Amino acid sequence: MNIIVCIKQVPDPREFSKITIDPVRKTIVREGIQAVINPLDRHALEEALRIREKYGGKVTVVSMGPPQALEACKEALAFGADEAVLLCDKLLAGSDTLATAYALSKAIRRLKPYNLILCGNETVDGSTGQVPPQLAEFLELPHVTRVRRIELVDDGKAIVESVLEHGCRVVEVKLPAVLAVVKEINTPRILSVFGIVAAASKKIIQWSVSDIEADIGMIGLEGSPTRVTDVFTPEIKRRCEIFKGPVEDAVKQAVRRLREIGAF
Amino acid sequence: MPGEVWVYAECRDGRLMDVSIELLGGGRRLADKAKASLASIILTDNVGSLANELISYGADKVYVVEHPLLKTYQSDLYTDALSEAVSKYNPEILLIGATSIGMDLAPRVAARLKTGLSAHVVGLDIDEHGILKQVVPGFGGGVMAVVTCPKARPQMATVRPGVLPKPEKTDRRGEIIAVDVKISEDRIKAKTLKIIEEKPLGKPLEEAEIVVGVGLGGCKPDTFNLIKELAETLGAAIGGTRPAVDEGYITENQMIGQSGKTVRPKIHIALGASGAMQYMVGVMDSKTIVAVNKDPNAPIFKMCDIGIVGDLNDVLPILIEEIKQLRKT
Amino acid sequence: MPFDFTFTPEQEMLRKAAMEFAERDAAPKVEWMDETGETPTELVKKMMELGFGAIVIPREYGGAGLGHIARIAVLEEISRISPALGFCLQIVHLGQAPVIYFGSEEQKKKWLPGMAKGELIATCAVTEPTGGSDVLGIQTTAKREGEHYVLNGRKCFITNVHISNMHGVLAKTGEGPKGLSFFMIEPNTPGVKPGRRENKSGLRGLNTGELILENVRVPRENMIGGEGDGLRVALTAISNIGRPGVNGVALGIVRRCLEEAAKYSKQRALYGKPISELQAIQWYLAEMYVDYETTRLLTYYAAWLRDKGARCDAENAASKYYSVEAAVRCAHKLIQIFGAYGVMKEIIPQRLLRDAEVLCSAAGTQEIMKLVMFRKALEYSK
Repeated sequence: MNIIVCIKQVPDPREFSKITIDPVRKTIVREGIQAVINPLDRHALEEALRIREKYGGKVTVVSMGPPQALEACKEALAFGADEAVLLCDKLLAGSDTLATAYALSKAIRRLKPYNLILCGNETVDGSTGQVPPQLAEFLELPHVTRVRRIELVDDGKAIVESVLEHGCRVVEVKLPAVLAVVKEINTPRILSVFGIVAAASKKIIQWSVSDIEADIGMIGLEGSPTRVTDVFTPEIKRRCEIFKGPVEDAVKQAVRRLREIGAF
Repeated sequence: MPGEVWVYAECRDGRLMDVSIELLGGGRRLADKAKASLASIILTDNVGSLANELISYGADKVYVVEHPLLKTYQSDLYTDALSEAVSKYNPEILLIGATSIGMDLAPRVAARLKTGLSAHVVGLDIDEHGILKQVVPGFGGGVMAVVTCPKARPQMATVRPGVLPKPEKTDRRGEIIAVDVKISEDRIKAKTLKIIEEKPLGKPLEEAEIVVGVGLGGCKPDTFNLIKELAETLGAAIGGTRPAVDEGYITENQMIGQSGKTVRPKIHIALGASGAMQYMVGVMDSKTIVAVNKDPNAPIFKMCDIGIVGDLNDVLPILIEEIKQLRKT
Repeated sequence: MPFDFTFTPEQEMLRKAAMEFAERDAAPKVEWMDETGETPTELVKKMMELGFGAIVIPREYGGAGLGHIARIAVLEEISRISPALGFCLQIVHLGQAPVIYFGSEEQKKKWLPGMAKGELIATCAVTEPTGGSDVLGIQTTAKREGEHYVLNGRKCFITNVHISNMHGVLAKTGEGPKGLSFFMIEPNTPGVKPGRRENKSGLRGLNTGELILENVRVPRENMIGGEGDGLRVALTAISNIGRPGVNGVALGIVRRCLEEAAKYSKQRALYGKPISELQAIQWYLAEMYVDYETTRLLTYYAAWLRDKGARCDAENAASKYYSVEAAVRCAHKLIQIFGAYGVMKEIIPQRLLRDAEVLCSAAGTQEIMKLVMFRKALEYSK
């Protein structure tokens, strides 16, 4: 089984309260905040490693990011991935999910043949969850999101469980496919000393936009149909909206209000 | 605005999802502001009265794609159908509910159409140029961004359930348009075999998305039974104050606060708790705090988002019923 | 001395691994350890599986050879959650030290690979009722009989004695400073009896006990170095591995104290505001902060010197002295910040003080540290 795992380096969620916004450039200030592999991507990598342990094969990690993302690639190798590819190019800056999915698809096409592409269902920063299905579209492969269980039937087919609001959807998917996993799928391993030592002799390949023959008009800011026009921190004051009077009315109004504010 | 505002109507088991109805409410406002028509698009094996229902909730038009293979969600076919319909009719805006299925479908459609999509929108507005302003959360909700899609069309967004107002049903008329798109079985590469219903599992206190807190006011046998029922209905974990431990209603492990656990659920419902600091420090990071207490001067009412003044024995049965109603959708 | 204080990517990854292990696997066991005083052997096994036992063993013998700074990072992260478990790990390393520093090529090849995997865990048994600080006062004997030495004696306060399968023992082969020799006793050697288990006030869950040796026959090849080298072997091991190990554990305690103090003072409200706005508490926090930074600097500086291969006995002693004093100070202040809650057994401050106190006489008493530091201080007279 040749498995590709997409990973993204993100700010450590434990330090989110330290994040500030540059009021002039309207961007997130990430300096001084520890970077980690996106937590759900760790679950994806763990699943890939388990599949390799069971069936044999190769695990290649692919990431698109700035030079700092090399650390994430190194970490993935320390976890046990065989090879890492970092797609790094100034021209990729400002990519939204569509442009990112396109760029990743061009990189992944260079890594054929593969049986399976695993991703975390969403990242902790943007949390859109849009890249895996869009990646699948560019690769012309089937996709399933919110996967909590993967059962390989053979190297051409898998049965997966996709989490719904109150249950799950059982899907038979033809491989190769893009599967986006949720945390219920497994408990990721902790880095081991031996893994860290072994990583030193593994390869990290760096590719630029020209290495992947990407169409300039489809990447970066130009290739991004969406734009961020403003960034702000929401106020966290308690609303203190109190409902009194006849109990039945008070409760109904309170529940309606809870729906309005997005709590229910 | 020449193009229409489209709302994707998601239905499961022949019933419209609540969020799709909410989208019609929000969509109406946007359409009116942009002087455009509001339409809904539905993919199903049997539309039945659903199109009329959509019209009664505000749709001027309902585009219907009917085919036996569309009975349950199949990502390949739904993507094909929705994308083709959009390409045919060129709406300006396409709103999809951010359900688990909506989030599986919308990104693929956006990629098929090479257009922009924003996710989990919590606020929507439209400006005088017909540009949709989409407010989205990031970094766990600690940061908000405003996203637009200046050029590509349609402007797509997935909207969180409960954000837009649910419209009232009215006696309106509208147009139902049958859409002919190519649906073929050999396009299916990810086949939904079946749907399995599951009861929400209990989670440990620190991981639970909803936490119910028992205060001294809830420490009576009948009241506590109501509290347990509420928790079960919500799939919530139960915690509480030191007095509740002392009275024997919860265990030491369930104690929240300074000498107990810290929880950071999406919703914390404090029942019969006065709001003492020793307890509140354990729930301060909750996204939304709801408090029920019969004393209108209880300090907790200054530290919550939504408060209900009333006796727990009166409030809880109604609250449980309201939530059960919500759950049905 | 130009310094670059950035950790390498390997050191950062190692720190992450230790932090995750501590928070995910060790944290749930901490209360049980403190309550029962029992050693969580499955956690020791997990640490060995993760390779934490291989950190300072050179690569050519199956170790990771990642160095002493890396070692401190791991000890700090584990001890932040469980000082007892951190100390257990540091003594696993101590048991390897005589072989690493003074072992012959055959001895290294024989034992280090198994030690790296955690299959072999050795104690470093020096202390006896008649001498710890006064190491020449030990009475365990090693009598030469042909190709063997026969060991008889009783060691006390030995860490990891019940979870180790090898024992590094300092014994008398003669009189005076040149009359001590160091022996490695292999697994399943007859006559080796772990004795009583100590019931400590702190670092509970760390296994401490007696080692009884009754006519233990040890082959000549198991002596580290030659006859009379024992004192040097033992003291080098303790100075190079034992003392820095105490630093790593103390650093974890100091950091935890600072974190708990900061968190609590923001949450606890008195007189209508968080106590972090009261000057008395502010000064406690300030003092704890400088203690943390200084402990950190001294600890990593000593480790850095060690990684460079420089002689650093004075720095090891100074950092051990300071880090333990800081840990006790900070834990005591943490209790004051928590008020009466600080001495309730369910809450952490009192445990941190009990843990810190036990470190005082680990790897040599604070007074012995002062002896070493004094000798260095006097050099400044020249």
